Amino acid sequence: MTNQLLEDRSATGPTAGASRAADGGTPPKKRRRASWLHRDETVGAWILLAPYTILFLVAAAIPIGYAFVISMQKAPTLVNPKSGFGGFDSFATVIGDYRFWSTFVNIFTLMAIWLPIMIIGIVALALLIHASPGRFGGAMRFIYYIPGALGGIANFVLWVYLIDPVNSPIAFLWQGIGASTYKEVITPGNMPFILTAMLFFQGVGTWIVVVNGGLNGISDEVMEAARLDGANAWQLAWHVKLPLIRPWVGYAALMNLAYGFQLFLEPYLLRQISSGSVVAEWAPTQLGYAFAFTNRNFPAAAALSIILLVITLAIGLVIVTRSGLFGDDRVPRIKKKDRTA
Amino acid sequence: MKTRRFLSAGVALAAASLLLAGCAGGGDSSTASNQTDSGGKITVWVDPPRVPAAEAFKEAYPDIPIDIVQIDGTVGGQTVRQAFANFDSAGQGWPDAIFFPSNDDIAWATNSTSNYAADLTDLLPDVVKGYDPAVISFCDIDGQIRCLRNDAAPDVFWYNKAFFDEKGYTVPTTWEEYADLSVKIAQENPGKISGFLGDAYAVNRYLQAAGCPTNDRVSESEAHINMDDPNCQRATDLLDTMQAGNALSTQGIFDGDAAEAGANLVMSPGAVWWGNYLFRDTWKIPAGQMTAVAPLKWEGDSKPSTGNEGGGLWGVSSHITGKQLENTLTFATFVATDPRWQVDLSTGLPGYGPVQEDWLAKIAGDAYFADIPTTQAAFKSALGDVQPYSYMLYDTGSVWTQTVPSTLIGGGSATDAIKAFGDELVNQAKSVGYTIVTE
Repeated sequence: MTNQLLEDRSATGPTAGASRAADGGTPPKKRRRASWLHRDETVGAWILLAPYTILFLVAAAIPIGYAFVISMQKAPTLVNPKSGFGGFDSFATVIGDYRFWSTFVNIFTLMAIWLPIMIIGIVALALLIHASPGRFGGAMRFIYYIPGALGGIANFVLWVYLIDPVNSPIAFLWQGIGASTYKEVITPGNMPFILTAMLFFQGVGTWIVVVNGGLNGISDEVMEAARLDGANAWQLAWHVKLPLIRPWVGYAALMNLAYGFQLFLEPYLLRQISSGSVVAEWAPTQLGYAFAFTNRNFPAAAALSIILLVITLAIGLVIVTRSGLFGDDRVPRIKKKDRTA
Repeated sequence: MKTRRFLSAGVALAAASLLLAGCAGGGDSSTASNQTDSGGKITVWVDPPRVPAAEAFKEAYPDIPIDIVQIDGTVGGQTVRQAFANFDSAGQGWPDAIFFPSNDDIAWATNSTSNYAADLTDLLPDVVKGYDPAVISFCDIDGQIRCLRNDAAPDVFWYNKAFFDEKGYTVPTTWEEYADLSVKIAQENPGKISGFLGDAYAVNRYLQAAGCPTNDRVSESEAHINMDDPNCQRATDLLDTMQAGNALSTQGIFDGDAAEAGANLVMSPGAVWWGNYLFRDTWKIPAGQMTAVAPLKWEGDSKPSTGNEGGGLWGVSSHITGKQLENTLTFATFVATDPRWQVDLSTGLPGYGPVQEDWLAKIAGDAYFADIPTTQAAFKSALGDVQPYSYMLYDTGSVWTQTVPSTLIGGGSATDAIKAFGDELVNQAKSVGYTIVTE
């Protein structure tokens, strides 16, 4: 007992003894270890979180706060170059702008076409790959991933070539609709379809890999049980796999939705290669860009950013709470059981 | 589990807030109170065609340390405007001299929110005096000369002499004759075109030439725009006739895939620099075909009436002083007036009067145009026929390219297209803060 007490003191000082006294009789050794473990965990967690926290502050929290502050200012105008507090005037400027609604109509039109194709494509292809194991499945997974590896600019350059009505390997398609110049391909009516194609091939490969990860997480026992019950491949996919990967599908929908609202590069560059025949403010982010750098109205640009942030967060939250990936309630329940046992 | 939830929510938030990155900027308008002096080193921004000008300067003045930065030269591009908005917010970072990619840039560069471009009236009085008042008028903002013109770019009337001689057509002298002949040529020679509508300068080629008030600066905060003006109407009628007769291309002169259409161009109003830059260097039309005559008249007018396509502008920073300013002014003087650039290398007719004759003499030596004396005379006479046009904070050319070609490709008439253009122009002008007057 004395030995133990000494050990206690040397290890954790008087607090350990005090806590033991307060607990009244619980085995001290176990308690001490738990306390140490807990402190280590806290420090470790913070060390692991630090790079993310710093980046989060620099790249998200501080800019959001800054944008909010800027959006509350009054923009200097030609008549009155003074700046100052302007309240919600900038939000009124943004919503009252003649292009505001049309940029959202553009984005929603694109989303209405692209997102369903994207999600169905991801799920269908991932299920197909998962249903064909072995070398074939692996090869297909790799093949689907190839266009996804052509991210950003590389993908864009590829598409500049593909929509070229003279040199493209699919030029016959463009000539079939009577287009012989870039300007005739990149029309306002074609924009949602061109962007859908670009975004689909850019993203689908990566997301198949992600959803496939979810499929691989389904335990063999579940699959075996379903097979023993007489489920065929189709029933296995529809009734077993799909409900289990719902969180991953939700996550894919969320991230693609967020990406869609932030669309900037693609319409910006399509405007350039069509020599300006696409409107400069096709997407909401481009309208923000125009506020900032054409109108020199930083408060309005910041206000538009805040509006986009609110929309993206709201839609994001709906999917987060519905998909089950983030608020997964099965796992905590199991844990609670663990504790009581 | 909580940590994971926090992390995931954070990921979502971070993803959503990424869109802020490009937009959050400072809100203060700057003043030019603190002029700096680097002690001599200068930084100049030039678009790709003007890089040889800066290189020629470097060779001519090896003692002046210079940083040459090549910028995006897209007419109507936004990158330079973006950079300057940031510089003006930060109160530092400006180049010492710049070749503005779009002439419209002079509007924001002289606006009270930026005030980047220095008043050169007293800094370079001799250089300013060397310009024909009509040529330097684009730099005259409320009585101050805020830029120097690189080249004069009045529109002359270009035609393919070889084609005209072969087919026996007569070169038109009025805009109305031009429209009628273009339809006749298109009927008799399918595929041959008489104009381009898809680029930003089409505004100048047709609307400015007609005297249509799209860019009429009343004051810093007032713009005169009136698409119902009879002058706009005559331009619209002209384009309607030509468009209905399949005589126009919806492509623009700068389109990467316009070379084929370019080779089929038989006549068009077009800037002086079309000769070397477009016909010879870009579209590779053989020598001895294209040639220029004086600009067209509107029926009933006594004088020709024409537009102006670019004719780039050099600006000097108002934020510098001392040796840095002195060297920058040396640079500006060189690129605007020195024959080593203006005569030997530049593709356009020099804006600066004293070197124009040498440049005109050089085109005789090139022997590219079909009728050299007439072309030389046309270049000179066109200078005085340019209709007034102010560069504004709204980008008329971009409004044109995003409304007119797409309306025409979508099956609309030229009247529909110009209606869409006018509506968008008024909207944009209001959006940047102008009050619109129609008289």
